[in-house]
Amino acid sequence: MLPSENTQKTEQGASLFDRVTESVLRRFAGHTSRRGVVARLGGLAAAVPLFPLLPVSRASAATPAAGKVAAKAPSPFAAKAQAKDPNACDYWRYCAIDGNLCTSCGGGVHSCPPGTAPSPTSWIGSCYNPQDGNSYMIAYRDCCGQDSCNEVTCLGTDGDQPSYRPMANNDIIWCFGTGTSEMYNCSTAAVIGKTS
Amino acid sequence: MSFLSPRKSWLGLLLGSAAFFSAAAVQAAEPVLQTEQSDVITLKPYSPHTILVEDAVYAHNKDGRVDVVDADRGVLLGMVQAAYNPNVVLAPDASRFYVGETTWARGNRGERNDLLAEYDAQTLKITSDEKLPSRALVTPKRNDLAISADGARVYVYQMSPANAVEVVDTKEHKVSQTVEIPGCALAYAWGNAGFSSLCADGTLTNVSLGADGKASVTHSAPFFEPDKDGIFEQSPTVAKDGSTYFISYSGKVYPTTLSANSTVQAPWSLQEGAGLKAASNASAPFEVTWRPGGWQMAALHKNTHELYVLMHRGTFWTHKDSGTEVWVYNTETHKRIRRMPLKVASTMVGVTQDENPLMFTADEDGSFFISDARTGKLLRTMKGLGTSLIFTVAPGEG
Repeated sequence: MLPSENTQKTEQGASLFDRVTESVLRRFAGHTSRRGVVARLGGLAAAVPLFPLLPVSRASAATPAAGKVAAKAPSPFAAKAQAKDPNACDYWRYCAIDGNLCTSCGGGVHSCPPGTAPSPTSWIGSCYNPQDGNSYMIAYRDCCGQDSCNEVTCLGTDGDQPSYRPMANNDIIWCFGTGTSEMYNCSTAAVIGKTS
Repeated sequence: MSFLSPRKSWLGLLLGSAAFFSAAAVQAAEPVLQTEQSDVITLKPYSPHTILVEDAVYAHNKDGRVDVVDADRGVLLGMVQAAYNPNVVLAPDASRFYVGETTWARGNRGERNDLLAEYDAQTLKITSDEKLPSRALVTPKRNDLAISADGARVYVYQMSPANAVEVVDTKEHKVSQTVEIPGCALAYAWGNAGFSSLCADGTLTNVSLGADGKASVTHSAPFFEPDKDGIFEQSPTVAKDGSTYFISYSGKVYPTTLSANSTVQAPWSLQEGAGLKAASNASAPFEVTWRPGGWQMAALHKNTHELYVLMHRGTFWTHKDSGTEVWVYNTETHKRIRRMPLKVASTMVGVTQDENPLMFTADEDGSFFISDARTGKLLRTMKGLGTSLIFTVAPGEG
């Protein structure tokens, strides 16, 4: 259904839920633009704690309602993911990664290689861990300051949205505020919370 | 002694040969090579088949480039440097092109320079090298950079991380204004003085640039849901009349006319246009069917109303998978009119705008394929033209 159709429905007297959702989204949209201003003012330190919060609501909105028991693999990637080899593209945390694995560049799943700096901002994915049956929020923090490491490159597109949804987009060079040249070296995949 | 005789005869043969060849040389009257002056080639005015190919060189991004290719012969005519997630647009008369790029003074460090370089399209000499306030560093999509229908303005998408579009006056070679587009991204040029951007809430922001230098902004109603079925940023667009075909991940096509008050028509389905069931969106991600995908995943041939789309079989969330076939649609009838399997799956598709159009595809190893757009027949392969060939720009697209 198109959003415009939703709007018509609201005009005809839609449910409270619809109106609340709209109100939350509108507030959220306003919040998004203020974030840009905060960043422009150099308040990245203040903005950083906000980043992990935003995509939680987006991702949960995009994910179908989880089952009462342990969630089943929610996506085609998750259905084939493994939890043993972080140097392989099908490692569960890499469901939305795009670029070079820091594990293959001298870093680790949440560690940057020497000579680079981690980005305080990132895009966020929600990935299913086949080992414990839980889904986790993953922050794909880029490591910056050296050109592309280019050892093992992967492209996970679960939940990847276009750049007009920046917090869910894996094409953007997330090197804002690293104090480096903002050159992209590799991507880490840090667990920042549980979603189910 | 018995060995001397053959030796003599060998010697004789050698001497005889030498005499023969020197005599032959004289007879051919080969002129003595003259001293040469080094010079530089100037290209002919671009034909409809003289194209630009963007190579982002993912393996070492700071070394990106834009190639000029003669697609009739499958030869490289020249190239210019295009550093770090660059972008390129061609002027409407193909006399010059603009490269948006980013460098650092000392390679990977030092002062950052966001630049818009203007090149003479025939000499490939730089005619303006303008420093920009910023530009978005993102794996390049065509519409991170755009040019107005008359070529007087270039629009540079900026994400710093606040969202804005810098408007560059191409005569004055300066940024005339920076328009904030909070919550939105990209620039789809329409007419001579306007652009639209796609927004996080499923709307369009429309920016008109007044003669007084002021920008006026309108917003469309929401027409898509990015969470469930986002619209490809690489959707094809035409600056001259604002006609744009926004294509969603699942394969819905929203015919749109961009303007100060953009109008979006009800979508039609790529799958239904090919006699299939419409594809699922993120609500049912496991459904395997034919879906659009790749990087530059669609192209438009304006005059014949033909929309070229890279298609592959896959689930939802495979929107960046290479296309194994190109499906061509008539945008008036919404029907698939051709289906062209590719010998090599492609991340991009491009077409020229003339009556004998060529189609371009590329593989992930940097080889470039030139086909007859009307049949899909592969005409030429430029093996290893580059590294990460992500889109083409042909004369007359805007």
